[in-house]
Amino acid sequence: MNRRQFLCTSAAGVLAAPAFIRHAAAAEGNNGFRVRYFPVPEAQRSRDVTACSDGVTMWFNCQGNGKLGRLDPRDGSYRLIDLGPGSAPHGVILGPDGAAWVTDGGQNAIARVDNDHKVTLFKLPFKDYANLNTAVFDKTGIYWFTGQSGYHGRLDPKSGDMQVWKSPGGHGSYGMTVTPKGDVWYASLAGNHIAQIDLKTGDARIVEPMIPKQGARRVWSDSKGRIWVSEWNSGYVSVHDPADGSWRVWRLPGERPRTYSVYVDKKDKVWLTDFGGNAIVRFDPVTEQFNVFPSDKPNANVRQMDGKPGQAWGGESGTNRLIMIETLQPPA
Amino acid sequence: MIVRAVLVLSAVVAGPAAADDGSILFETCRACHSLDPAVKVMAGPNLAGLIGRKVAGDPNFDYSPVLRSARDEGRVWTPEALEAFIADPEAVFPGTWMSRVPLANPADRQALVRFITDPASR
Repeated sequence: MNRRQFLCTSAAGVLAAPAFIRHAAAAEGNNGFRVRYFPVPEAQRSRDVTACSDGVTMWFNCQGNGKLGRLDPRDGSYRLIDLGPGSAPHGVILGPDGAAWVTDGGQNAIARVDNDHKVTLFKLPFKDYANLNTAVFDKTGIYWFTGQSGYHGRLDPKSGDMQVWKSPGGHGSYGMTVTPKGDVWYASLAGNHIAQIDLKTGDARIVEPMIPKQGARRVWSDSKGRIWVSEWNSGYVSVHDPADGSWRVWRLPGERPRTYSVYVDKKDKVWLTDFGGNAIVRFDPVTEQFNVFPSDKPNANVRQMDGKPGQAWGGESGTNRLIMIETLQPPA
Repeated sequence: MIVRAVLVLSAVVAGPAAADDGSILFETCRACHSLDPAVKVMAGPNLAGLIGRKVAGDPNFDYSPVLRSARDEGRVWTPEALEAFIADPEAVFPGTWMSRVPLANPADRQALVRFITDPASR
């Protein structure tokens, strides 16, 4: 069965539950948004981004050359911080301490980078290559992370204590999110599921999405604690409501979408990246419409998004640029 | 379904991958790839029978535009091409969807290529 057949079969399968299926239309134009690109040519394979604690600058990872970047969008200047020999940073998030926290696959370590750019490493407590991926802080300040080789773990930043578990289902532990209540979820790309972690025991409660073999890659909670999922294999975006166990799915626009990442902004608008369409896609769950923002260069390959109020950010790993899409306020 | 996760203790986990142990190195790849020809849908293409196959030659996988172009040009996977691709996928096929695998040691890359290409090594 080739991928197109798989998609048709999948679509037929989910169409059997029409109440949950949405093929949203593309919105009319992109008025109301402004797109800006920030070249960071010395940053090889620029990828995950997050806002700095100063509210102005942006952290970004350079997976290809082992650096953490810091961009000042006011003038486009940036600097690169060396993370150590063999570094290959994947994810970066802002910690409650105001520092950047990096999942560094190359060093098999968590890297903390403070605002003076001092780097502190927390090595995993074993030598197996975990392929560290993504992380979140829970409400108590514990740092939770995934490793794509099939691990999830926790680090207490105060004591340095770390525990790592083998994720159920084996390889694939990938994107991670924390809900407003403080629940921690992750997606398993190879396992084709999402899972909620018991924060006391490390056990995981697997939840199967609607579409089989969908390739759940990244997850992001909205303000109501619903878990949005980017489905790489199927090209869909889905949402799971843990309150009632429901799922809804929507196929991204275009002929052959590949949904890589998902980010939900503070207004519960859903931002997705589509490798098939070489685009960032914004989905409005209220109107069920998509806005499509194709890159102005081929092979942009945005692998993650994050943002701050009114701004959605991503790193174009294929062009070594950052992109910011600003939602403009309507004139008063 | 709640699954009890297995706590990983440093004392019971294998040491660093030796350069001649491609099976351990391939663990990194298993999140996206399989060497079992019966596996049809994963995040990346199936790698069974890769060497000698056309680039973008897994009929079950929808490749990136740059890999499809390479296929149309008739490019074929060789051990040397695979090693170069593992070292820096973007350098070989700019725009590929595959992320870089941090294998800085050439001996590790060669061991991984042997494991992927030679069924007798598995």
